[in-house]
Amino acid sequence: MTPPPPEPELRPHTYDGIQEYNGRLPNWWLWTLYAAILFAIGYWSWYQWLRLGLDGPARVTRQLDEIEAQKLAESAAAHLDDATLWALSRNPVVVAAGRRTFESNCVACHLPSLRGKSENPAAIGPDLTDQIWIHGGRPTQVLHTVTTGVPVKGMPTWGPILGPQRISEVVAYVMSHHHEGEPIVPAAP
Amino acid sequence: MSAPAPPQPTRATVTTIRADGSRQFLYPADVRGRFSRARRLVAGLFIALYLSLPWIRIGGYPAVFLDVAHRRFHLLGRVFAAQDLWLIFFLISGVGFGLFFVTAMLGRIWCGWACPQTVFLDHVYRRWERWLDGDGVQRRELAAAPWSAGKVGRRAAKHAGYLLISAVLTHLFLAYYVSLPVVWSLVRAAPGAHWSIFVFIALATGALYFNFAWFREQLCIVICPYGRLQSVLTDEHTLTIGYDTARGDCIDCLRCVRVCPTGIDIRQGLQMECIGCAACVDACDEVMDRLARPRGLVRYDSLAGLGGQPTRWIRPRVWLYAGLLAAGATAAALAFASVRPAVLSVSRMIGAPYYFDRDSVRNQILVRLINKRPDPVRFTLTVSGLPPGFVVGGNDRPLELAPLQEDVRLLVISEPRAHFASGAVLVIGADDDRGDRLARPISFLGPGTALP
Repeated sequence: MTPPPPEPELRPHTYDGIQEYNGRLPNWWLWTLYAAILFAIGYWSWYQWLRLGLDGPARVTRQLDEIEAQKLAESAAAHLDDATLWALSRNPVVVAAGRRTFESNCVACHLPSLRGKSENPAAIGPDLTDQIWIHGGRPTQVLHTVTTGVPVKGMPTWGPILGPQRISEVVAYVMSHHHEGEPIVPAAP
Repeated sequence: MSAPAPPQPTRATVTTIRADGSRQFLYPADVRGRFSRARRLVAGLFIALYLSLPWIRIGGYPAVFLDVAHRRFHLLGRVFAAQDLWLIFFLISGVGFGLFFVTAMLGRIWCGWACPQTVFLDHVYRRWERWLDGDGVQRRELAAAPWSAGKVGRRAAKHAGYLLISAVLTHLFLAYYVSLPVVWSLVRAAPGAHWSIFVFIALATGALYFNFAWFREQLCIVICPYGRLQSVLTDEHTLTIGYDTARGDCIDCLRCVRVCPTGIDIRQGLQMECIGCAACVDACDEVMDRLARPRGLVRYDSLAGLGGQPTRWIRPRVWLYAGLLAAGATAAALAFASVRPAVLSVSRMIGAPYYFDRDSVRNQILVRLINKRPDPVRFTLTVSGLPPGFVVGGNDRPLELAPLQEDVRLLVISEPRAHFASGAVLVIGADDDRGDRLARPISFLGPGTALP
């Protein structure tokens, strides 16, 4: 065999009889280290020294603001006035969407005809097509009733489940069975 | 002109890293023989498999289609949604235990025969390099030659080829994630129409190019953790590639060193760099044939076998890894079998747990369904386990859900108060129009029921 090249130098320390060679790291490995150092300097300059980037808390605050803005924009739908809800109740697209939600969630008590106890005395929910209203018959009052529910009687709090948009649609569907200006007869609670 | 002297491997150093830390490039020579032939065949099958999976369609979708955009993962005709991601744990642990077992039995057979790094490096990129620049000696000479118009042209052609291959591989790799028709439409559109994807593909092409044109065996030696595990997974009865020191008829031709893709001298024993490619076995056999000596001076054998002892295939380590593999595979099979095409959850509606008046007791139950199939599904809700007298409202219409859509439905279940008895358990079922059924129990509560 050809004579082998000389062994690399050994480090002086010995642990449990184990010694290590004093070999060099590959240069490409060192370059990843240098690149990481350069990146760290750039990163520190950007965020800590020049403050060009948003720091953590500022970024979180910004994101919370964005979420808040989105929530406010969504709840604008929940702060609809009577006129807007009446307008929505004449829009076939909104009414059709509301009808789908109604048929998924409301027919159990109010029946597909919306007539509830008027159609079947055993039904749980009251008639939504007549002019008698237990919790107020203006569209905003109906919206409030759907959103917060009437827990003592079993009308669920739909707000967190359906969200403002689907609630305004379902109210539009209910109000599509009524006309603006028709009499509202308060019922004995 | 003669080539500069090739490096002298030692056990104490990594051949490809010189004493000053600079890179020692390798120019492994061609080798012919039974293992090289078999390895080329296996690599061809793997490349065909990797490249054809996006083209094969099973059940209307590619055989492997990891549709990240829609969080839907098609594997051989089965569809998984993001909710099924936990299965990856069993997949990875199963593959891990499988690798333990295979390593204990056959050493680093994966590295040399099946790993994409080896498969694409040895059988695609090095083939192109070999075709263009010739065998190992010629490549070493060319690398050492001064720059000339001819060398510039050769190098430009070589790297253009590397880049082209990398770009093709990257696009096929992208097809695993977005499907081929989308890749094709992206390719035809201007880069400005989808900058993020264009930059991603450019970077991925660059990464593949860097890996296969320059980095090569450094990945196996320095980056990949599997090679380091070899020392704890293998023992003296594991099949490895070794040199029979007892024979003593090595003619020191260095052929085994010249063909090694990681630059070691196998005669110095099993080393961390060895990827088990068997190039040295073929190289030595060829020389031994020419000298009319028996083959197998360098051969696939266990350390025990090379030392003249019998190889014990069945040993405690093998039992242990086989047991882990069987347990892992069983758990994975059970986990995959438990995946349902929809999610059904049943909870009590916000508000009171039950309502009652003189005549009846009422429970309001919120049913939530998620369709995980890639197409619309119609669900029919049923309530069973009802004693006579129950009335269910709210489930008279089927629930239609688009792909990945989620919706809720309120079931109002009432019972005449006179019939009410504690402890009734209802089963809410959802039958889809494909014949699958999901069901969840929920207790019917009323006055005097002890809440669980």
